[in-house]
Parts: sequence; structure tokens; C-alpha cells
Amino acid sequence: MKNREILFKMENVKAYYKLEEVTVKAVDDVSLEIFEDEVIGIVGESGSGKTTLSNVISMNIMKPLTLVEGKVFLKINGEFEEISSMSREEVKKKFWGKEITIVPQAAMNALMPTIKMSKYIEHLAQSHGIDKNELLSKAEKRFEEVGLDPLWLKRYPFELSGGMKQRAVIAIATILNPVLLIVDEPTSALDVVNQKIFLKVLMQMKKMGIVKSIVFITHDIATVRQIADRMVVMYAGKIAEISPIEEIVQKPLHPYTQGLLNSVLTPEPEIRKRGITTIPGAPPNLVNPPSGCRFHPRCSYAMDICKEKVPPLKEIEKNRKVACFLYMEERK
Amino acid sequence: MTFKPMLKFLLRRFVFLLVTYIVATTIVFILPRIIPGNPLAQMLSNLSRVAQANPEAIRAAEKTLMEEFGVDKPILVQYGQFILKALKGDLGTSISYYPRKVIDLIVPVIPWTLVLLLPATLVAWILGNTLGAMAAYRRNTWIDKGVLTAALIVSQIPYYWLGMIFIFLFGVKLGWLPVQGAYSQGTIPSFSWEFFVDALKHYIMPFASIVLSAMGGWAIGMRVMVINELGSDYALFSEYLGMKDKRIFKYAFRNSLLPQITGLALNLGTVLGGSLITEIVFNYPGTGYLLFKALTTLDYPMIQGIFVILIASVYLANFLVDFLYAWIDPRIRLGQEE
Amino acid sequence: MFSLMIRPLFKNKKFIIGISIFIFFLLLGILGPVFYKVDPTEMTWDYEQPPSSEHPLGTDTYGRDVLAQLFHGIRSSLYIGFLAAIISSIIGTIVGSFSAVKKGITDDILMAITNIVLTTPSMLIAILIASYLKVRSMEAVAVILGLFQWPWYARAIRAQLMSVTSREYVYLSIMAGYSDTKLVIEDLLPTIATYAFMSFVLFINGGIMGEAGLSLIGLGPTQGISLGLMLQWAVLLEAVRRGLWWWFVPPGIAIVAITASLMIISTTMDEVFNPKLREE
Repeated sequence: MKNREILFKMENVKAYYKLEEVTVKAVDDVSLEIFEDEVIGIVGESGSGKTTLSNVISMNIMKPLTLVEGKVFLKINGEFEEISSMSREEVKKKFWGKEITIVPQAAMNALMPTIKMSKYIEHLAQSHGIDKNELLSKAEKRFEEVGLDPLWLKRYPFELSGGMKQRAVIAIATILNPVLLIVDEPTSALDVVNQKIFLKVLMQMKKMGIVKSIVFITHDIATVRQIADRMVVMYAGKIAEISPIEEIVQKPLHPYTQGLLNSVLTPEPEIRKRGITTIPGAPPNLVNPPSGCRFHPRCSYAMDICKEKVPPLKEIEKNRKVACFLYMEERK
Repeated sequence: MTFKPMLKFLLRRFVFLLVTYIVATTIVFILPRIIPGNPLAQMLSNLSRVAQANPEAIRAAEKTLMEEFGVDKPILVQYGQFILKALKGDLGTSISYYPRKVIDLIVPVIPWTLVLLLPATLVAWILGNTLGAMAAYRRNTWIDKGVLTAALIVSQIPYYWLGMIFIFLFGVKLGWLPVQGAYSQGTIPSFSWEFFVDALKHYIMPFASIVLSAMGGWAIGMRVMVINELGSDYALFSEYLGMKDKRIFKYAFRNSLLPQITGLALNLGTVLGGSLITEIVFNYPGTGYLLFKALTTLDYPMIQGIFVILIASVYLANFLVDFLYAWIDPRIRLGQEE
Repeated sequence: MFSLMIRPLFKNKKFIIGISIFIFFLLLGILGPVFYKVDPTEMTWDYEQPPSSEHPLGTDTYGRDVLAQLFHGIRSSLYIGFLAAIISSIIGTIVGSFSAVKKGITDDILMAITNIVLTTPSMLIAILIASYLKVRSMEAVAVILGLFQWPWYARAIRAQLMSVTSREYVYLSIMAGYSDTKLVIEDLLPTIATYAFMSFVLFINGGIMGEAGLSLIGLGPTQGISLGLMLQWAVLLEAVRRGLWWWFVPPGIAIVAITASLMIISTTMDEVFNPKLREE
């Protein structure tokens, strides 16, 4: 794998939900880099902190979510800007839409329902101080690129079918050529055919250079495999493993990743769908996570050290990082 | 673009409202016939009280009543006659104003009720929604908290009690405004400037009491609705795209207004009930006042007649609101697959 | 689980204010007549007296003590409110849950009825029914009011249950061979308990307001004293225009305070249990 330019990085980020009595440690000491021109898949079960991670990447930090520690950088015009030092309002004003765009989980309902999409584009142009005809013609082009007749722009969102809506959302999300596109569980509401089309459209956006990199958040390993260059496995607020996609599928290192992949490879579709639940035990709560390695209560390889110490995320093969004592000296 | 879905929607609503209206009028028809204590006999005894002097007249009235109620015929025939007559505008003969026809007594009071009720309801709706939306926009500021608290309390003040307080304060204590009626006693309604000013002075207090106490409910509802809309997916996505807050708020406002229009339709009955009582408190010569008099004299044909008309107007208003709704909301105008 | 639900409520200042006001009036209604032993119906020659040490809230045109009337009025109005709320809640819960569980034709019929009642101007029908009853007990008034305020609640319950019934554990119960009734009681009702309680609170509200409205139009209870009846007497005997404020102001304040406190209770519950509205 060639050495790539880093587009985005976060260092030792702790992002907690501070509720009245308890603190949910949804992202706990996570460092991550996103390269230019890559699709990175963030995988984990619900409650693993993957959506919170996406909120940190976009600095969509709203109470009760608080950035407790760590820094977040985004490269803009060749220079890293520390976006974690800005308020959500500032980040929103400066970067959202133009540099970073999030496609929310329920993309089906993401379009303003009671106005025509062309009107929506006009409003968007107004908000960003762009000429509206210019943006409209850009939208027409983008609609064509995602395989939608530009005439649909003059319609209301509810007139589109589910798969078309999803594509329209992608077209609109990329209209200002953001460098980083974050998509959160985009395919879960779609049937297989539309899923395929959607992934194709997404890849196309990247190939055409409309977006530089894509963060793809899902619990569905099968889709990640189709689209991502690297996979990040989240477990209980921490990264368990980061690795190029082919290698992790060939040879998963972290026991949690192994369980995850095993469940995907089973022939029964029901189990495949549920994925992670086939690993014995339940995911921990993030108010009082287990000591040491958070996976140890469910891990069949657990050792004494796993209960005491938190395994650091270490590069043990080229481009492969894992947080597990099985691969470290301390294991004895 | 086709308007077929809209027509379909309106047709469906029309049929529904028609069915509901038939159910309601059936209740109006059936009640006096199933309630124990024979209201008809009661009515006749009332009649003799009203028209004491003239036994001839009583007998004549008795005959009219018997015929109108058609008690000697099978109930289905009675029902058929009742509906047919009602459709022709014949609502029977009043007892307390014998031998005047109910319809002739009701028609002149309706404008007074409309003049009071329609503007008051609309103004309350507009002001309430504006305030509620403002509160939602400035969420958790003192404006929000002030509006919410005030709205919570004000919405619980019955129209008529607020009317009483107004009469006492501005009429009795301060002497600013006339304490009762829709115009000064002795003046005859006309289209002169003097009469207009006089009527306006009488109008202020009942109008204000309805507006003020109806406003709170709309404000509370709107606030919750806008807050919910602001947290919805399209609002989030717009935010992610860098849309200005003001614009997102406008979206939320627009989308919250739609259910509030339906709410207006659903609330018309309650609003009407409340304003009828307000009329009583103000001795305002509208439908409520007439109904009150009919109730105290047990003038059942009149009561029935008033209800047939009031319920019909509620449904008519409902249908108008539906029409408005269908016209504004593209999802109905163009037919959304649900 | 119950205490877990209640605890956040008592941390909410607004909720505490609301519930305090309500309990205060509840106690006035329950204990007032016990401690203030003046017959509210006794007529004396001390008529239309402003508040004094002898009559803390003055007297009406018949020389009856207004404070005694107020205590009894609060008691009856709360009684009517509660009764109407119980009736509405029972009807609404039954209609809503059966609609959701039975689905199909039962659902269609029940929802058609619900929509018809919802669109019917209930206050008008209540007036109409009341006008034909020569004798109206408090209970009768409560029934008339309770019969018409359930539809929106039934619809909401149905919608909530519909979303719950699609969840996994309900499938399990069905596979385990539970009957429909058992399903409703054991699995579904707990999920809507909060909502039901909030609605109950609003139904009490509707009952109290409805009683006042009916009474003012001359169709309140034919025996006893309620807040609405007090207002009606005040209107009939022109207390307002003759400036006898101590007669019509207290019952109105009682109505507003009780209903507003219930409203506060219900909205704060909504805030606490509906995360979107929660203040953070």
C-alpha cells in the first residue's frame, strides 16, 4: 500500500455523554487517521460508539455529548486546522456542507418534505452565498451523475421512491464538493438492488473526485467489504482493530473481529443479519465498562492481563493495528 | 401536474364528514325519544305556561307540535320526516316564541356569533402559533420560559371567566367599556358610523377574552411541534449541509403549521362551546344566548334546531379547513404513498 | 422500575411546583369541608357581604358562605374530573389497544368510530344530552363528559402499540401462544403506562373544564355545589356587573389553578420522558 496523504486525524479523543447522574463513555481514547482518497468503514454493533465517532469527526458535538479530551484536525488547503478548538457553530459555518457533510441515518426522511427539491437547492445557495442558478445547474448535473433525471428536481421528495430518494440525498450532500463525506447506516433501509446501486453511486462520487474520502458507518460487514479500503472495528467505545480490508477479512487479528467475521460467514441469513449477537455474552454498558480490555468478559482467549490493563492500539504488521495482548510482549 | 389526489382526499373527507353529520343529527333526533321522562309531555306543559291566557292557542300549538314530532308514526318515518324537513330549512316551531318558526329565530342571531367567533379564533390561532414558534426558536431563553409559563396558565383560563374578570375590571371598576350586549340598548342596528363605534366598544371585551384564553393552547402546541421538527431528519441534514439556522427554522415552522391547521378543525367544536358561554356571560345576542334561553325554557324544537345548525357549521368549517390543508400540503395535493 | 420512572420527575422544579399546587387544592377539597364546618347551603340574612372575619370570602345573594361553597365546589369538581378521567381512560385504552392488537376489520371499525367521535363537537353533544336529563347527578355529568374526550387518546395508544407490537418480544409472546388479552396486559400496557398517566391528568382537566362549561350554560349537576355552579349563580344573579368580586373570582381561580397545575404536571412529564423536549 502506497503512502498516502492524511486528510483527517484525531488524537486521543474522549467524547462522553454527560448525563445528570452518569457519564456514558461512548468514545474513549480513540486515535484515528483518514487518508485522502479512501473509503473507511467503521464497523460495530449499536452502542459501540461508532455514531458518536462520526459526530466527533464532523465536530457535531452537542450537549449532552462533550469532547472531554483530544484533538481533531482536518486538512484544508494543504494545512491542518484544529477543528476541535472551534465551537460547533463555528465548524458548522465554516466547514459543514463545503468540507464535511454527514448523510444522516434516516436518509429517507432527510429531505425537507414540503418544498420542491429545486427550491431547497436555492435555499442552500442562499445560505452559502452562491448564485442560485449556478447551484441549480450543478444540482442538475449531479442528479444525472447519480442516475436521476434532472427533471426530478422540480418535484417533491415524497414523489421519489426509496432508492431514488437515497440517491437524491447523496447528490445534494455532495453538491458543494465536500472533501469528507460521512454516511451513517445508509443501506439498512434499502432492498438488495437499491443497496447495490447506492454503493455504486457512492464509489462513483469518489472516483470522479467530487469527494475525496468517505467514512462509512455500519454494522453490516458485508457492505463494508464491498466498498471500503480499510476497516475500523469499534467495540465498547474503543477501536479494536484497524486494517486494510482484504487482510482483515483473510486474517482477523482481534478475537472480537474474528467473532464478527465468523458470524458473517455462516450460511444462515438470519444469523448473518444479526451478526454480532452470535458472540456469546452481551455488549457492555458504557457507564461502567469492564476493566482492562473491554472485550475480556466475552473473549475466549482472555488472560489475566486483559482484566487489569487496557491494551494499546499498536501497529503489529504493516498498516495493521490491533488492541489486543495476544500480539504483545506483555502477554506472559 | 394533476389534482386528482387532492380531489380524492377532499371527496373522502366530504363523505366522512357527511356520515359524521348524519350520526350527529341522528343523536339530535333520537335523544328526546329515548330519554326517560317523556320530554314531549314536558314540552306541552311548558307550552301551557308560556301561552297561558289562550286555551285556543294552546290547543293549536299542541296540534302543531304533535304533528311536527310526528309521534303517532313509526320512528323511521319520523326520522325521515325530520331529515327531509331539516334539509328544507324547516326546523319546527318554537315553544317559547310560539308561533314563530325556529329557523326565523336562529338566522338573525347567527351573524353575531360569526362576527365574534371567526375573527377571535383566527386571531388567537395566528398569535398563538407565532408566539409558540418564537419560544421554540429561542429555546431555553427567558423568552421561551416566559411564553411557556404564561401560555400554560392562560390556556387554562376558561373564556367566560376571563370575560367576567374583564367585565368587572374594565366595565365595572374602570368604566372604560360597556358591560353587556353587542350594542347599546335602544339603538337599532344600522350601517351608520355611530352604530359601528358603539358595537366596536361592546365587541372588544368578548373578543379579547376569547383571543387571550384560546391563544395559550396554540402557543404550547406550536412550541412542542417546532421543537420536534427542529430535531427531525431533514432539519439535521440541512444543518449538516450548512443551511442557515433561520432557514431551517422556517422549514420547521412551515411543517408545524400543517398539523396546527388540522388542530384548528378538530378544536372548532370546543372553541364554539366556549364562545357560546362567553356570549351568555356578556349577554351578547348570539346563538349561545339564544341557546341559553331555549335551555332555560326547555324549548326543545329550538334546542334541536340550534344544534342541527351549529353542528352543520362545525362540519362545514371542518371541510373548509380540509380544503385549505389539501391546498397547502403538497403531500396531499399530489398524493403521497403511505 | 416505578421508582426509576418517578425519580427524575422529582428533580424537575416545574413538576414539583405543579404537583404541590395540585395537592394543595386536593387537600382543600378533601379537608376543607371537614375543618371549616359551615353549611354551604344555609341561607342567612348576611347577604352579599364582602369578605370579613366571619365570612372569610364573603356571602352570596342568599347569604350563603362563599368559602364553604368553594371547599365543597373544589371537592365536587375534582370528583367529577376524576370520574370523567376514569371513564375516558377506560374507553380510550380499550378501544386503542384492541384496535392495535386485533388489527384488520376490528381496527377499521373501532377507528372509524373513534374518528367520528373525534370530529363530533363534543361540548355541543354534551350540552344536548344534558339538556334532556331533568335530574343530573354529579356522576351523570361526569359520564356525559367522559364519553367524548377519549378519541385522541385512543388513537395515540393505538399508534404507540402498533410500533411496539412489531418488536421482537411481542413476537415471542405470540409464538409462546399467549392469548390476545394476556398479550395486551402483560407485554404492551407497561410500555404505554406513562403516556396513559399523562393523558389521565389531561382528562381530569377536561372534566373540570367541561363541568364548569355545562354548569354555566345551566346544565350542571342539579344537586350539590361545584365550581361551575358557583360561577353560574354568580352570572345569573349579576354578581359580575354588580361588582361582587369575592363571589366569582375564587371559583375561577380554583379552576385555573387546578387545571394549570395538572397541565404543568403533564407537560413536565412529557419533557422528562420525551428526550427531544428535554432541557439539556
